[in-house]
Amino acid sequence: MSKRRVCSLEEVPENGMRTFEAEGGLRVLIAHSGEDYFAYQPVCPHQDVELEEGMYDGCVLTCHMHLWQWDIRTGAPMGSAEAPLVYYDVKTEDGSLYIVPPNALRMAELFDGVSEQTLEKIIALARSESFEQGSALYKIGDPVEDFYVLETGRVNFAVGREERIRAAGFMLRKGEVFGWAALLENQPQRIASATCLEKSSLLAINGKQTLKMLESVPADGFIVMRRLSSLITKHLIGSGAE
Amino acid sequence: MKIQVNARNRAYHFQAHDKEQMLFAGLRSGVDLPYECSTGTCGSCKARLIDGKIYDPWPEAPGHKYCKNELNEFLMCQCVARADCTVEVGNFVYTMDPGACLPRSFFGVIRATRMLTPDVMHLEIELDNPQNFDAGQFVVMEAPGVTGFRGYSMVNFERDAKKLEFVVKKKPGGGLSQWLFDSGSIAGRPVDLCGPLGHATFFPNVKKNILCIAGGSGIAGIISILARASQEQYFNEYRGYVFFGVRTAKDSFFLDELEGFVRQFPERLQVTVVFSEEDAPASLKQAHPDLLFGTGFVHDVAAQAMDGKYQNIRAYLAGPTPVVDTALRTLIVKGKLTTDNIRYDKFS
Repeated sequence: MSKRRVCSLEEVPENGMRTFEAEGGLRVLIAHSGEDYFAYQPVCPHQDVELEEGMYDGCVLTCHMHLWQWDIRTGAPMGSAEAPLVYYDVKTEDGSLYIVPPNALRMAELFDGVSEQTLEKIIALARSESFEQGSALYKIGDPVEDFYVLETGRVNFAVGREERIRAAGFMLRKGEVFGWAALLENQPQRIASATCLEKSSLLAINGKQTLKMLESVPADGFIVMRRLSSLITKHLIGSGAE
Repeated sequence: MKIQVNARNRAYHFQAHDKEQMLFAGLRSGVDLPYECSTGTCGSCKARLIDGKIYDPWPEAPGHKYCKNELNEFLMCQCVARADCTVEVGNFVYTMDPGACLPRSFFGVIRATRMLTPDVMHLEIELDNPQNFDAGQFVVMEAPGVTGFRGYSMVNFERDAKKLEFVVKKKPGGGLSQWLFDSGSIAGRPVDLCGPLGHATFFPNVKKNILCIAGGSGIAGIISILARASQEQYFNEYRGYVFFGVRTAKDSFFLDELEGFVRQFPERLQVTVVFSEEDAPASLKQAHPDLLFGTGFVHDVAAQAMDGKYQNIRAYLAGPTPVVDTALRTLIVKGKLTTDNIRYDKFS
């Protein structure tokens, strides 16, 4: 998707927000804060509630339904929110506001806080791949090479073998990272199976190359490892408690 | 029936009895499924049926407006499994904290009723077995012959409680409320209960000043919180600000109880009773010298009084949805409270 016109700047309330329909019918929430404009998905990633009905003080956006909150400048989740907002890059020209969808890697929590230079290098390593509904991305025991960032679609996970297979969660938001065994040491085999439940597009990134690149920028490497450990905790916490 | 819940992070398995709502079966098993009202209104417990068969006893439940039929979405607080089921919820789900009071189904007998105002009743229910709950929690209640559960917050707080106390507002056309008010003498009648439920709980280890804003019968859970805090001498160290809104002096109740708490901790606890339709009569002020009184909407009076005092605050909100919603906006937009410091359950 390339650049789309959304509205004229005057239509956006000062330090306020409003949902618009962009060229081509895409709905988008535009928020004004100080000198800047920001564009986000118009509904809460939690339960399809219109964010326009929520609370916005010029800095923090709060969904009125279950009080998920986001930093308006980044779309990053705050407080009890479990997911970031899908954002669009904003361009203003001749009094009009345009949006451009960003690379999914820029939405990934795993890389939140790393330098622009490092991010560009990771983006350069990423390959765009599409999968039909039902395709198996990998199975338990497969050799581990890549980790993945979801762009669109939905990926399901299962662990266990044969009759002991059980569901192990699913990914459905842009920027979610999985297959992170590729970023771990001494983890040469997949420990879960991943299947595309819908037609999905992903960014595939070689784990070894990423680790090697991060070794040359230890400060960013440390951030990524911290994010990775939080991510693993979020998915595994309580999983022995059945 | 075997139930499998596929959550964002993993799958959970538990058993549901015949006629047992899927939500309660999961919570009873220690799986912290998403919910708020648990009585069919808020839509928070929405799930998607992947496989199996369910029965929905209340297809008109207001919470259905959040469900998409084409995706086989349903409310776990209403639906009962009629076969082994696999369902999906779009949330991260974890097991409950060790030490949490797991909800269960139990029986009680109505022992005493007392009118607090012409349309608010105090209800005491004796339990078959002692029950534990946390301050601020609620149970859902169903009476024989009246379809549907209603949520009521406990007023009392004690460990191994042998009785539960509630405040019930008369609601014309509200099934259970009408039954309680219109059935004549209901002492000795049995009721079905399920709980404890709810996330608007107070624990002394929160170590923050407490702000409570309640409208009408919402004061019930706040009294429970004040009881727990008082038992732990919490207000020797932290401040408490309570705002209790009703329409007129005639609609007010529990003023003696609230004043009793203030008298125990006069330095750090203050309670303001707010009337939306009149100024407090002089006689009422005289009768309750240790309470403060205000006029207007309870959230406005609270916002004015709390200006500049929002540091290190944990807020509890309770009452009719408009009261909770407007108080929420005030705390977030004016008070800049972070949402993890605001607790409420919407079930009225």
